[in-house]
Amino acid sequence: MRLEKCWFCSSTIYPGHGIQFVRNDAKIFRFCRSKCHKNFKMKRNPRKVKWTKAYRKLHGKELNKDATFELERRRNRPERYDRNVVQNTIKALKRIEEIRLKREEKFWENRMKVKKDKRADLEELKQNIHLVKAPVALQEDPSLALPKKMEKVKVKVEMREAGETRAMEE
Amino acid sequence: MNKTRLARLGDTIIASVKEVVGRGKVKKGEVVYCVVVRARMPRARSDGSEVRFDDNAAVIINKQGEPIGTRIMGPVCHELRRRKMVKVLSLAEHVA
Repeated sequence: MRLEKCWFCSSTIYPGHGIQFVRNDAKIFRFCRSKCHKNFKMKRNPRKVKWTKAYRKLHGKELNKDATFELERRRNRPERYDRNVVQNTIKALKRIEEIRLKREEKFWENRMKVKKDKRADLEELKQNIHLVKAPVALQEDPSLALPKKMEKVKVKVEMREAGETRAMEE
Repeated sequence: MNKTRLARLGDTIIASVKEVVGRGKVKKGEVVYCVVVRARMPRARSDGSEVRFDDNAAVIINKQGEPIGTRIMGPVCHELRRRKMVKVLSLAEHVA
């Protein structure tokens, strides 16, 4: 019994599931369910389909380059059977799985952290200033409370004001 | 051969030769036995999975189950092993 990976979405295919498609050049495509199979028949590229692992790893949404993946890589050298090697491999499998999951979690956390930037907050303030004070009020009285950086921006607007008001009238 | 049964992957069928390429061992219009080695129709495997090939293909054999030809193109199915078609399997490029 062997647990295969779906060619399209990269999930594990358990025994009793899925379809195996053999192309005439003897390349075998395994699919975990008909969803993946149908997408393949539509000639979709898994690297462009957003819910697949291939897309997520390609676009940096998930951990892709890590030492823990080395265990699952295919090796073409046959190993002589040694009971101790087998026992150690089983232990290593479990441990490496734990480590991989922890690293994936951390990767996700780091990904979510980066978005909390000060720049994002400033952008939000600029865009939603109308929630603080009405835009008409701001134009009439430019001395109204705004953060220092915002004031500098206001000065530029005043210099072009003549041209701008004409545009607004139009 | 039962007329009401349909052939699947690995089944032996009786066919008539429609088209011949070059001068081979078989002539057009001959009635031959052949075994289905590839089929587009998915066939269930004992482990619960299903196999599908890209096209429909058969290999002409004699009554003993040995192929008449000398070469087999493309992959063949595993089901032949159960039918004891060892020669077909050994000639094949790839067994899927």
